[in-house]
Amino acid sequence: MPRRWRWLIPYLFLIPGGLWLLAFFVVPMLVMASVSLQEGSLGTGYALTWNFGVYPEMIQQWAPQFARSLWYALVVTVVTLAIGYPMAYTIAFRGGRFKSILLLLVILPFFTAYIIRTLSWKLILADNGFLFGTLKDGGILDEGFRIIATPLAVISGLTYNFLPFMVLPLYVALEKIDPKLVEAATDLYASRVQAFLRVTLPLSMPGVFAGSLLTFIPSIGDFINSEILGSRATTMIGQIIQRLFLNNNAYPEASALGFMLMAAVLGLVFVYARVVGADQLTR
Amino acid sequence: MAEETKMERAIARAFRPRRRMSRRMFLRQSGRGAVIAGSALTLPAILAACGIGPAGSGSAGASAGSAAALPSAPAGTLDFANWPAYIDIDEETGDYPTLAAFEEAEGIDVTYTEAINDNEEFFGLVQPDLAAGNPPQYDLIVMTDWMIEKMIRLGYLSELDHSRLPNFDANALDLYKDPWWDSGNAHSVAWQSGITGIGYNPTLTGREITTFDDLLDPEFAGSVGMFSEMRDTMSLTLLSLGIDPEEATVEQAAQARDKLLTPAQAGQFRNFYGNEYYDELANGNLALTIAWSGDVSQMKLYDNADVEFVIPESGGMLWVDNMAVPNGAPHPLDAHLMMNFWYDLESAVPLTEYVGYFSPVSGVADRVLEDKEAAEAEGDTEWAAALEVIAETATPSEEALANVHNYRRLTEEEEAEWNDLFNEVVAG
Repeated sequence: MPRRWRWLIPYLFLIPGGLWLLAFFVVPMLVMASVSLQEGSLGTGYALTWNFGVYPEMIQQWAPQFARSLWYALVVTVVTLAIGYPMAYTIAFRGGRFKSILLLLVILPFFTAYIIRTLSWKLILADNGFLFGTLKDGGILDEGFRIIATPLAVISGLTYNFLPFMVLPLYVALEKIDPKLVEAATDLYASRVQAFLRVTLPLSMPGVFAGSLLTFIPSIGDFINSEILGSRATTMIGQIIQRLFLNNNAYPEASALGFMLMAAVLGLVFVYARVVGADQLTR
Repeated sequence: MAEETKMERAIARAFRPRRRMSRRMFLRQSGRGAVIAGSALTLPAILAACGIGPAGSGSAGASAGSAAALPSAPAGTLDFANWPAYIDIDEETGDYPTLAAFEEAEGIDVTYTEAINDNEEFFGLVQPDLAAGNPPQYDLIVMTDWMIEKMIRLGYLSELDHSRLPNFDANALDLYKDPWWDSGNAHSVAWQSGITGIGYNPTLTGREITTFDDLLDPEFAGSVGMFSEMRDTMSLTLLSLGIDPEEATVEQAAQARDKLLTPAQAGQFRNFYGNEYYDELANGNLALTIAWSGDVSQMKLYDNADVEFVIPESGGMLWVDNMAVPNGAPHPLDAHLMMNFWYDLESAVPLTEYVGYFSPVSGVADRVLEDKEAAEAEGDTEWAAALEVIAETATPSEEALANVHNYRRLTEEEEAEWNDLFNEVVAG
C-alpha cells in the first residue's frame, strides 16, 4: 500500500466491527425509536405520528418498576463484587497449579442454559422441596418459611447468574499484577492491608470497572430471574417490556420503555466512567 | 509519610480520566463523521421509514379470506405447535402413541412441539411474521376460541378446505360446529375444550373450596395463584361480581381490577402464572389457584393425588382450543390430514383418556365411561381408577355446563383498555 494511504489502515480494520454495530445496534435502535413514536393498531397498522407523549406516560406508569430494577442491579453488582473479588484474588494469587481448574469451575455453569439454571434454583429452593421440606420436617424452619417469590430470591438468582462476569475480568486484572510490587510495598513497611489497599486494589481497578459493567447492565434489564423466582412485588422493567411487547402487542409503549432503559443505562455508565475513569478499561 | 502521599497521588491519578484525544483531533474526526452523516438520509426520514404495516399487508396476507388451493399430495412433513400436557404420552418411553399411529398411516413426519405456553405470548411471537406475510414456522397451531376470532379478524389464518375434513363433518359434536368465534368453521376445528375454574389442595387449604372469593381469603395469603392470561383472571373476577363477562363494559372491568388490586398489593397472590401454575400446585407451593379442568385430572393421576378441581359458585369459563393453519403455512394439506385424523373416534378416545378434557368428537365421552366399566370387569383396577379421574373432567355434567360462560369478543380498543387495567394488577 502506498505510503500516503497508510492512514486508511486503522479505518479498514474498523469496517467489520463497524458494519456489525450498524446492522445489529444502530439499525435496531432506529427502528425502536421509530416504533416508539408510532400510533395505531394491529388491524390498521402503525404510522409515525411523532407521539413523544408516550415517553412521559410510560415513565409515570412504570416508575416503580424502573426504580426497583435499578436498585436490584446495584445490589447485585455490589454483592457479586463482594463475593467475586476474594474468589478472583484467591485464584490469581493462591491458585497455583489449580488455577485453570478453578477458572473452569467458574465458567462451568455456562455449559447449561441460563433458564435451566434459574429453574433449577426454583426446584432446589421450593417451599417443600428436599432442602426446605427436610428442614421444615425437622422443625428447624417455620412452616411458612420460603425463599422463592421474594426479592431475596430474585437478587440471589441474578447474583448467581452474573457472578462469572464479575470474577473473570477481576481475575484477568489481578493476574497481571506483579507480586513483586506487593513485596516491595511490604519491604517499605506497609502492612498487608496497606499493601492491598495501596497497590493491589488500585491496580485491579480495571477489573472492578469491567466486572461491574458486565454485571450491572444485564441485571437491570433482566426479566428471567424475577419471572421465575419472583412474584408480583419483584416485577422488573424487563418483564414489563416483555409483557407489553408479547402479551399486549403494545409495540410503541414497549419500544419507548426499552429505549429509555437503554438511555438510562448509558447515562449511568457514563457517570460511572467519569467517576472511576474509563481509561481503566484500556490500561 | 512522603511515600504515602506519593502513592495516594498515584491512586488519585488512576481514578482520573485521562484525555486521550486532543480538541483539535476531536474536531477533525467529528468533521469527517458529519460529512458521512450528511450524505445519508436525515434522521426523521429514516425513522418514518420504519412503520409497521397493517394486518395482511404482506404478500401472503393478500390471499387471506379465500381458500388457497391445497397441493394434490401431502409434503410428508408437518410442524405442529401445541400446549404442554395436551396430547397422550407413553409414560414409559415418552413417545406420543396416537401421533405415531398417524405418522405410520399417512407417511407424514410430524414435528410436535410444546411451543405454546400462553395465547397472547405465542401470538406475540408469531404476529410480526404473519403481519409481514412471511411463511410461519408452524403448519398447525392450537389457539383458544377468542384468539382464533382475533386472528381471523386480522386475516392471519388460512381458510380450511372441508372436503379434506370428512371426519369433522361426520363426527364433530354440534356444540363445536359453527361456533361464535368462527362461523361455519371456515378457519378452525376444535382440539379439546375445558373449563377455567379453581384447582386446590385440600390438605393445604384445610377446607373445601367453593367460591372465587376463597382465592382472596387472607387465610391463604401468599399461597394463591392467579393466571397471567388477562381474559381468564378478569372473567372469573367479573363473574364473582355478578357480571356476565361476555357483556362486560370497560367500567365493569375496572371494578374487577379494583377487586383484585387490594389483595394483590397485600401479597395475597404468590404470582401470576402461565402453564407454570401446574408445577406450583403439584409441588405444594400453591394451596389454591385458578386452574384448567383437565390439568387437575392429569395432576391427580400423575403428580399429586390430593388436588381437586371446582367450578366456583359464581361460575367458570368455558373455552375451546382450536386447530388452525396460519397463513402461508408450508404444508397445509398435511395439516388438514392431521385435523381429520383427530376426528376419528379411535384417535380421539386415547387422546381424551390421557388429557382429561372434553372432546369435540361425538361418542368419546361415552367411550371413556364404557372403557372404565370394561376395565373394572376385567379386573384392571388401576386403569379403571385412572379413567374415573379422567371422566370427572372429560365428561361434564349438565349442571357443570349450566354454570360456565363465554369470553367477551373484545374489540382492539377494549382489549387495550382491559390490558391496561389488568397490568396494574399483575405488576407491582
